[in-house]
Amino acid sequence: MISPIKIWRRQKDIRKILGRKGRIIVWTKIYTPGSDFKKYAPYPVVLVELENKEKIYGQLVDYKDADLKTGCEVISILRKVRSSTDEGVIAYGIKFKPL
Amino acid sequence: MNHLIGYHTTQFGELWEKSLFDLVKEAISGVLKQTSLSNKQIDAVFFGNMLAGVLENNLHSPSKIAEILKVNIPIFRAEAACASGGAAFNLAKTYLDSNSNKNVLVVGAEKMTDYSPEETITGLSAASSGEEQEAGLTFPGLYGMMANYYLDKHHYTEENLAYVSVKNHFHGSLNSKAHFRREITVKDVLSSPYVAFPLKVLDSSPISDGASAVILTNNLDLIKKQKNSVSVIASELVTDTISLKERKKIDEILATKNAADIAFKKAKISRKDIKVAEVHDCFSIAEILAMEDLGFWKKGEGGKKIKGMSTMYGNSGSLIVNTSGGLKAAGHPVGATGIKQIGEIFLQLTGQAEKRQVKNVKYGLAHNVGGSGGTAVVTILGI
Repeated sequence: MISPIKIWRRQKDIRKILGRKGRIIVWTKIYTPGSDFKKYAPYPVVLVELENKEKIYGQLVDYKDADLKTGCEVISILRKVRSSTDEGVIAYGIKFKPL
Repeated sequence: MNHLIGYHTTQFGELWEKSLFDLVKEAISGVLKQTSLSNKQIDAVFFGNMLAGVLENNLHSPSKIAEILKVNIPIFRAEAACASGGAAFNLAKTYLDSNSNKNVLVVGAEKMTDYSPEETITGLSAASSGEEQEAGLTFPGLYGMMANYYLDKHHYTEENLAYVSVKNHFHGSLNSKAHFRREITVKDVLSSPYVAFPLKVLDSSPISDGASAVILTNNLDLIKKQKNSVSVIASELVTDTISLKERKKIDEILATKNAADIAFKKAKISRKDIKVAEVHDCFSIAEILAMEDLGFWKKGEGGKKIKGMSTMYGNSGSLIVNTSGGLKAAGHPVGATGIKQIGEIFLQLTGQAEKRQVKNVKYGLAHNVGGSGGTAVVTILGI
């Protein structure tokens, strides 16, 4: 269970990594997700190296199949990341879109 | 020297008529009967289990095992995701190293099929980092990333991965305790649906129920009385970062490499002495990486080597891998897996592996991984 407090605590870190550019190091596409991600499947997840060499995971959105490749340039954006909790708190987090 | 004197495993599969502790009881009763030991002769128990607390609100398992065994001895639960069984074994061995004339029971078990696949996948994801969970990265997803990176870097295709599953399903067809006992073809693997690109259903180990148990002892009188006994030459557990992204290499499990190097050094034998190995093939790519990281194959050669199928029973290779069917075909009740792997090596070393018995085996190796490589346990047994 994801506590609303945990979602709130995470927001402080998320704002620091918004709007950052980077390149895809490796990717996969999830067809059988966990319960909170079922309605998004299938969805690609990428590991991105930002310009400052920091590495971040996130789902890729607004993409074409040709974007699913190592080296593709992407930017981090704010998106809803999982189904809402029982308390109705919407969990926002980092996703990426191609540049 | 610590000796392994008995092994019993339940059937692996979708065992809807049995609870977690039904399975634990069955495995314990089986191994006690086989070694002619009574419950009162057991000095300590180590239990490998991952998901009972997460999926079925079922914790304080040591006390539940005390109730089953009707004893009041030290009992501990080990959790290291899919390496929970290996970790329990490693702790048991360490316990014997500091206590003489003791008999220790190691049991691993998991009950996974009472829940929907989504619920079980979510439970398993507890063993990944918070950031990986937030990105919706499942374990097939993490290994999918490793596979995609490996195939790209070394110029292989999904077909190279498929041979792992074909081999292990053939071995599973020879093991009456295996979850899957049917042979499959490369075409079957390639035409199965994707789970996490580039991994497909038939690249992946199943969600299984099952329990396995072994008895370890350093009681010399007891060892002499036993019909079957093998030496535990080395058992090494190594940890690494939980996040795949924090590792230097995506196509290497450093914990495996380090555990193997330490184990071989302590065992004072070479890779060539190992004739049978059970390696952690939770996904097809995992067996290829394991063979490289354990030092049996050079890094990057695994995709080519597996196509030769030299590690399949009946072929001419000097090392046969995953005769139990591996996680892929024997099944993967996560807490039981590490014990089943060690048990399979015990069967091979004592000539009890029936239709899949490899000849002239003196040394065998078991390799158990937790998560995407955050824990690895390498155990070497010999006669």
